[in-house]
Amino acid sequence: MTEPGQGAARGLRSIVIVGGDVAGWMAAAALARVLGPAACELILVEPNESTTGGADGALPNLRAFHALLGIEEREFLAATHATIKLATQFHDWGRVGEGFLHAFGPYGVDVKHELFQAYWLARRRAGRPSPLEEWSVTGLAATLGRFGTRPANDSSALRHLSYAYHFDAGLYARLLRTHAEKRGVRRVEGEVVDVTLNDKGRVESLRLRDGRAIGSDFFIDCSGPDARVIAGALRTGYEDWSQWLPCNRAVTIECESTGDPTPVTEATARASGWQWRIPLRRGAGCGHVYCSLYLSDDEAASELLAVAGDAPLGDPRLLRFTAGRRANAWVANCLALGDAAGVLEPLEATGIHRVQTGLGRLFALFPDRDFDPAISAEYNRLTALEHARVRDFLVLHYAASQRDDAPFWRHCRAMPLPETLTHKRDLFARAGRIAQLEEETFVPASWLAIYTGLGVWPERPEPIIDIVGAAAVAGRFDAMPETIRKAVATLPAHATYLAEAAGIA
Amino acid sequence: MAGSAVRRIVIVGGGSAGWMAAAALSALVGRRVEEIVLVESAQIGTIGVGEATLPTLRAFNATLGLDEIEFIRKTRATFKLGIEFRGWNPDRTFFHGFSDFGPDLRGVSPHQLWLRSRAAGDERSYADYSISTVAAGLGRFAPPLADRGSVLGSYSYAFQFDATAYAAYLRAFAEARGVKRIEGRIVDVRLRSADGFVEAVLLQGERSVSGDLFIDCSGFAALLIERTLHAGFDDWSKWLPCDRALAVACARSGEPAPFTSSIAHRAGWQWRIPLQHRTGNGHVFCSSYVGEDEAAQTLLGNLDGEALAAPRLLKFTAGVRRASWMRNCVALGLAGGFLEPLESTSIHLVESGIGRLIELFPDRGCEPKLAQEYNRLMARSYESIRDFIILHYRASRREGELWRYCRNMTIPDGLRHQIELFQAGGVVALYDSGAFAEPSWVSLYFGLGMFPRRHDPMADLIEEAALSRELQRRGRIVAGAAQSLPLHGAFIDKYCRAAT
Repeated sequence: MTEPGQGAARGLRSIVIVGGDVAGWMAAAALARVLGPAACELILVEPNESTTGGADGALPNLRAFHALLGIEEREFLAATHATIKLATQFHDWGRVGEGFLHAFGPYGVDVKHELFQAYWLARRRAGRPSPLEEWSVTGLAATLGRFGTRPANDSSALRHLSYAYHFDAGLYARLLRTHAEKRGVRRVEGEVVDVTLNDKGRVESLRLRDGRAIGSDFFIDCSGPDARVIAGALRTGYEDWSQWLPCNRAVTIECESTGDPTPVTEATARASGWQWRIPLRRGAGCGHVYCSLYLSDDEAASELLAVAGDAPLGDPRLLRFTAGRRANAWVANCLALGDAAGVLEPLEATGIHRVQTGLGRLFALFPDRDFDPAISAEYNRLTALEHARVRDFLVLHYAASQRDDAPFWRHCRAMPLPETLTHKRDLFARAGRIAQLEEETFVPASWLAIYTGLGVWPERPEPIIDIVGAAAVAGRFDAMPETIRKAVATLPAHATYLAEAAGIA
Repeated sequence: MAGSAVRRIVIVGGGSAGWMAAAALSALVGRRVEEIVLVESAQIGTIGVGEATLPTLRAFNATLGLDEIEFIRKTRATFKLGIEFRGWNPDRTFFHGFSDFGPDLRGVSPHQLWLRSRAAGDERSYADYSISTVAAGLGRFAPPLADRGSVLGSYSYAFQFDATAYAAYLRAFAEARGVKRIEGRIVDVRLRSADGFVEAVLLQGERSVSGDLFIDCSGFAALLIERTLHAGFDDWSKWLPCDRALAVACARSGEPAPFTSSIAHRAGWQWRIPLQHRTGNGHVFCSSYVGEDEAAQTLLGNLDGEALAAPRLLKFTAGVRRASWMRNCVALGLAGGFLEPLESTSIHLVESGIGRLIELFPDRGCEPKLAQEYNRLMARSYESIRDFIILHYRASRREGELWRYCRNMTIPDGLRHQIELFQAGGVVALYDSGAFAEPSWVSLYFGLGMFPRRHDPMADLIEEAALSRELQRRGRIVAGAAQSLPLHGAFIDKYCRAAT
């Protein structure tokens, strides 16, 4: 047995982050905050000043990240042209002409999800269907375009309100950069043209176009899908998931918008993919995700422009990608974050979330200069599970669609699914239960919204209702929609909240 | 569809598993089914292993609405703060308590704080920060306070009880809620020809008991799940080679300890479970390395009171049923699998089996997807407990053939990764959030003398003197809090002593 004791002596002396953008600057800001002004030098290398902009969305726990960094909501809203995000509104996914809402937060008031779900399904079976948003303060606020915060000790139904943000990613990266640089992160402008490995197979240094070399103990590869370090130099493979997620292109555009922004992302299914609209303070970001086997880039762009009700600003931008994940997100002394670690289309907005959870895992498994493979193996195990869970959730959106009006959708309905998703879907379809596997990002409430929104309804009744006693259950639930309506009615309009919270009249 | 609801549940076998199932099902699904029947034979003895429990039993009892004081009196229970391990580490005795080692500090786990402080020359033991360990060492106990932030609210507890009395207590509970007990010995099982579902169990004297859902609590016999449905058994004896136990009760001497003891022997280990009126003892051993006579001598030579009977022998094979739910039959307890009682998990596994059955409660069609999900969840529980138990043998540095075998055997991949990860950086990987948590694994790793090569570098961000002061403060608070508790025996006398 080895005696403990060498800890500090083997600590990292420097960390180099390769690539700016949101992932890189999230890493920089978080490392600077957590490591403090210690002996570890933090450097971020990025090719140029301008980071990739565009509207993006987050999940509610981004607020915990901001709390860690000490970023106030007011500062964030003002700096990134942000709006509140309460839900995603899906159009035409189950069938053309039908829609559903996927709101954050739980259903019901002070009730376990399993019981709510059983009640809600039984109610529908008894001929009293009721949309999910009537059972969710978040969903109803989203529908009515309302939002407000409440004191921490609020005991009304509004304490179940859950929210995230829509924001401009370029501005967000700039905000994070300010925080990171204030805490001592050094930014180096330059393009990485070569990566030198040492005889142990670890990354030794980066060479920039101007000839400078930057050595470090640890490298964080945030260079995007090309993954210059972990894939380019360390030759780490990529697990291709396009058999389940065939979309491989996105065309995006910024739009001008009139009217107040809504607290809702719109996701509209199209013949060969889907289209998003993310409302920002002024204007909106729109994009069209599609599969190039079924749609040309020109067609995709013109479809995007035709339906973007807002006036386009500038020209559309095209992105190519392959859904999947890095075979190992941590190899030797290099960790991949963001698109370098895995690319999943922005459906359900998990991109930034996965950077955040990756950083959380890094802090829990922080390395020293020995880079023990057992530590990175644990990081990789958890990361692989997380990605597979998100993948299954996204695949469900396509696989459970009833659409058969286009070759793309017929392909999606016929494709074989990952075994884990088959189990989940069949368990719900036949028995009305939601299986949660290890490292889930999405809770049963989210799975319920997607299953039923797409038209998957359980075949068998819910015995749990009888267990509790039908009358007792009904009494408890029947008053909830009214409680929720009253609570939401006290909230200001979303635009009013933004104006007041961000101090912009 | 409503017409296909389960009308009749038949529980096969009494014992603790059977009566726990009867009590829980009558309380929670009794309203939905027409009848719950339990078939048992007074001629067949129950095993009665598992007199020590985990804290989850309290939640189970609370779900039934049992009065804790009454429960303790009826089952002559004592309180359990954890397990003392003697002889597992040749250098010292250690404790696996139902508490952590203090709160995180700046996101760093308490065991990492201790490692860091130790690296800087601090000689205090990590056990000084565990309130359950310190209180157990003093023989003191009181239930934790509701305030989780206070050190006296930061621990949990279980019970050590008479399992036969527990079964009898639950029988009265279940019968009061309409469960019908049928006395009889099962001689055959009839399957429905159409789908192979269990249709009825046939009793001696040409009687038969039919039902829609069968719960197999027939113990090692596994009458339905194995003898009839042939679910199959995954034999884990290559990892857990102990295959025998000799059990004997002895007279109590002195005040009952608020903990279970596990004492390592040459080819196995011995449990000591203090109850209010007697002490339960047993020697779990591997028959390849020690004979029954010697094992019995070892047991009888290590009692702290007079033996109340001759030791009773049990034979077993560690392992789990490949499917514990098949068609319309769910196996609970020993019929579902066996893991030696080293961490008192048998009754816990019955509780979680019952809980999941209720969550996934089927109708008469017994949708196979429900069984698949149940089996997935149960397999995960069994495997994660199995790996935790294997660790005890694997990481022990004791001498002897059994112990050498265990040090060199090939272990499950998941456990190998867990051990490598802990040795690398003191990180605890968990595969099943419902099973043993980080403090439990740390108790075993440290207790057995397995320390990581390095501590969490994040702990180095905390200033050394500040950390030392904080740990000193915590140690003082834990010591004072433990000292403030009443003696375990005095607490029982005051609140819950069983009538003699």
